[in-house]
Formats: sequence, C-alpha cells, structure tokens
Amino acid sequence: MRAQLRSEFAKLRSTRTILGLSAAMLGLVLLVTLLHAFSLSTTDLASRSGQVRVLVEGGELVGALFAGLLGAMSLTGEFRHGTIRPTFLVTPRRGRVIAAKTVASTLTGFVLGLMATALAAAAGTLALAARGVTVQLDSGNYVVLLVGGAAAASLWAVIGLGLGAIVRNQVAAIVGLCVWLLFIENLLVDSLPGVSRYAPGVLGRAITGQQTGTLHTPALAALLLVLYAAAAAAAGWPAITRRDVD
Amino acid sequence: MSSHAYGNNGPSSRGVVTAEPVVAVTSLTKRFGAFVAVDDLTFALEAGTVTGFLGPNGAGKTTTLRVLLGLAEPTAGRALVFGRPYQELEQPARLAGAVLESNDFHPGRSGRDHLRVLALAADIPPSRVDEVLDLVGLVAPAARQVKTYSLGMRQRLGLAAALLGEPELLVLDEPANGLDPAGVHWLRTFLRSFADGGGTVLVASHALAEVAQTVDRVLIIDGGRLVASTSLEELAGRGQTLEDAYLQLTTEAAS
Ligand SMILES: Nc1ncnc2c1ncn2[C@@H]1O[C@H](COP(=O)(O)OP(=O)(O)OP(=O)(O)O)[C@@H](O)[C@H]1O
Ligand SMILES: [Mg+2]
Repeated sequence: MRAQLRSEFAKLRSTRTILGLSAAMLGLVLLVTLLHAFSLSTTDLASRSGQVRVLVEGGELVGALFAGLLGAMSLTGEFRHGTIRPTFLVTPRRGRVIAAKTVASTLTGFVLGLMATALAAAAGTLALAARGVTVQLDSGNYVVLLVGGAAAASLWAVIGLGLGAIVRNQVAAIVGLCVWLLFIENLLVDSLPGVSRYAPGVLGRAITGQQTGTLHTPALAALLLVLYAAAAAAAGWPAITRRDVD
Repeated sequence: MSSHAYGNNGPSSRGVVTAEPVVAVTSLTKRFGAFVAVDDLTFALEAGTVTGFLGPNGAGKTTTLRVLLGLAEPTAGRALVFGRPYQELEQPARLAGAVLESNDFHPGRSGRDHLRVLALAADIPPSRVDEVLDLVGLVAPAARQVKTYSLGMRQRLGLAAALLGEPELLVLDEPANGLDPAGVHWLRTFLRSFADGGGTVLVASHALAEVAQTVDRVLIIDGGRLVASTSLEELAGRGQTLEDAYLQLTTEAAS
C-alpha cells in the first residue's frame, strides 16, 4: 500500500484542486468569523458562548465541510475524469487504493482542519480585541480547539470519501455534503436538539470542546465521530471493490 | 514519435514461459440486467501475435476488454491473463498494459505527472516516465496540462501509460482514433515489432484497412457472440478480403 499512498499524494500535488479548496476554505472562514465578530453586540461578545461562535464555530464547520469535500473528490474526481480506469488497471486490488485514499484524506483533512480553526481563532481573537472585549478562552482552550478542529476535519474527510465511494457522482457528493452540514443539521439543532447532539456535524463541533450544554464531551464526541467515519468507510468499501467500473 | 526506440521496448526475456495462452477467455457472459452484452464468448491469444478484435458498434468488444482487465465482473465464465484473473496479478503493470478510453486524464494534470502518478503506484522507476514520453513523441508537451492536448496527443499519452511497465500484453481499444498518419504508421510498426519480440496484442478497432495491415488474426463478434476467429492468411487463402469477410459475417449474424 506504500506505493499507492505515494501515488495518492502525487495526485494531490499535481493538480490545483487542493490549492483552490484551501483558498476557498480560508476565505470562507475569514468571512464567517468577521461577520460574527462585527455583527454580534458587545454584550453578546462578552459572553463565553458569543466568543465561541466567533472563535470556533465558523472555523470548525467550514474546515469539516472542506475536508469532507476533499475526501469525496478523491474518488468522485477519478470517476468524473476517468482516471479511475488507469488507477485500477495499475492497482486492480481496489482495497489497496481505498486504503491509500483513506490515509491520504485523513492526513490532508487534518491539515485543512488545522488551517481553518487556526485562522478562525487568530482572526476572531484580533476582531474581539478590535471590538474591545476581553477573550475568556485560555491557552489550554485554544490548544483543544485547534487539535479538536483538525481531528474533526480528518474524520469528516473519511466520511466524505465513503460518501463518494457510494454515490460516485461528484456533483451529487458535493451537494449532499453541503446540504447535510449547512442545512439539515441546522434544522435538527433547532427542532430536535436531543437528537442533533448525535449528528456528525454537531459531533465535530463538540470535539473542539468549547461549548457545554447539550453537546457531548470532546472524548465521547470523538469516539462517536470515529464510529461514523468507520461506518462510512465500511459502506464505501464494497461499493468500490464489488461494483463494476464503466 | 521516435522510431529508434522500439528495439528496447519489446517484452523482455523475463517472459512467462508456460504452455498457457497469454489470454484465455472461456464461456464468458456479461449481462447488464436482462441485456446480454457478451454471450458465451471463448477465445485464446498466443504469445507473439497481434489480434484484431472486430465487430459492429455495441457488439460487446469494450465490455469484453473491461472484464478481461478486472474493471467489470463476469456474469458467467472467466477471463484469464497469464493464467490468472487480472485482479490477482501481483504486478499487473509489468505484465499487461491497456488503453480503454482516449481521455482518462485529469485535465489539470500534466502529461508527465499523469505518468508519474501511475509509475509510483506500480513501483516503476521515474526514469521510465521519460523513456515512454520519448517513445510516443510527447517530450515537448509533457509539462503542459492535458486539457491543452489534442486527441492524438491524448492517445499517445494513454499508450505511454500502457507501456510504463514494459508489459508483455497490450490491450488497446481504438488506439488509432485521432492519430495522424505518421502516428498510425508508428503505431503499426510498433505493434509489429512488439509482437515480433514475443509480445501479445489485442486491439479492438473499426479501421479494417489498418487492421488488415497490422494483425495476424482477427476475432469478429456480433451481438456479444463470436462469429469468426481466423488468421488473415486463412482469409487470403479463401480469396476473401478482411472487409468481405467482416461484412458477410456481421450482416449474416444480424439477419
Ligand atoms: N454499464 C452498462 N450498462 C448497461 N449496458 C451496457 C453497459 N456497458 C455496455 N453496455 C451495453 O453493452 C453493449 C456492448 O457495449 P460495448 O461498449 O462492449 O460495445 P463495443 O463493441 O465496444 O461497441 P463500439 O464499437 O461502439 O465501441 C452495448 O449495447 C452497450 O449499450
Ligand atoms: Mg467499444
């Protein structure tokens, strides 16, 4: 599988997809963070929950979303452009390709998540200072939110990969991820808060550990999200190894 | 394409020395739902031969090649490459090279990077990438993104990928489509010298005149069934051209 892993990293490095995704992700993180920081009232911003919205939520959510997109595109991109054929001709034991893509997506997702949460934390901290409020998070909180955001994104990359393995169609996978994370989970949070704490996007936020209330603890949230990622990989595996490639 | 280089690109002497045919397709059937695309097909390819794979549109040629190369599962029967299902070959790129579609590339990746990606997965040294680029005449545009390539350049890049592992079997689907006359001539000469060096070629094509100049044998299928397996010599002995035989057999099969 080493050879396949090297090949996967060469694939990532040899197109501009990852650059484009990173740029779009960082732009969106900045936008969301600054919008929160300058639209909330200073009373809201003085509260811990208001600060978490600025410093954590946008960065974590956007990081998880883009990591999911990256994981999905790792497979759907190959089906879209037909490179799946040469890929499987060279490595007909498809499990090796999936295993390599899982490792590559996990690592790349981790880096994307780290960048997103770091940018949100940095820009949010500066913005809070500009609005004249004192940040209540200590350095330990920052460490947990960065590591947690990165871990959540790396797990979301695997979820995206599994989804891509099942649907194969790039547009469907991208739309599916966006609709789920940005729309359906929001509805869940509003209408069924007891259920929503088990939703994979909410679990990603819980891993950053900056909110209490209905959210699970970071450790439990991480465990549950690992189960989601494992389920996605388990469902995606036969979808790739058993189904014909046109 | 550089004509000097094909001497060192014939299959090497590590050739598999067995009595087994290079390709053995036995009672192969492939259905899509109720539709039978390949119907109880049986044929074998001997080392050192170029075989043309002919048949009307939709006859089942590409489907047969996909099953042979492990991209699709047979519904019944089997297709073996060097005595084993393709998926079970330990280093498939060193035994078989294939081109199924003319545009299986990421448009934003350079031709050289496309080959590097495949060479890495197959544990083929990077120096081989430059060799095959030279062989197919793509050195100059190698650093450009594939989206800037013409159809013929894409065919050449696909062929370069198939040749990366110095395989002993080449499986090509319509490889001459889009090649310029010099490219067609190069391909014909290349395939002949490849087979003369002990390699085996299976090439699906509609270009009968080109096939007649290149191949030793032809397999003709229609409606998924084999309607002829013959050498060009046998056809000539009967005073038939390839086109005569093809038209007669495929219209007969259709009626
Ligand atoms: N994935 C699929 N699902 C359903 N039908 C399919 C599929 N793949 C191929 N077919 C059908 O199987 C038949 C054989 O197709 P195939 O591509 O093998 O023909 P071919 O001989 O390569 O034709 P051509 O000369 O046009 O390339 C066609 O009728 C085609 O529509
Ligand atoms: Mg075809």
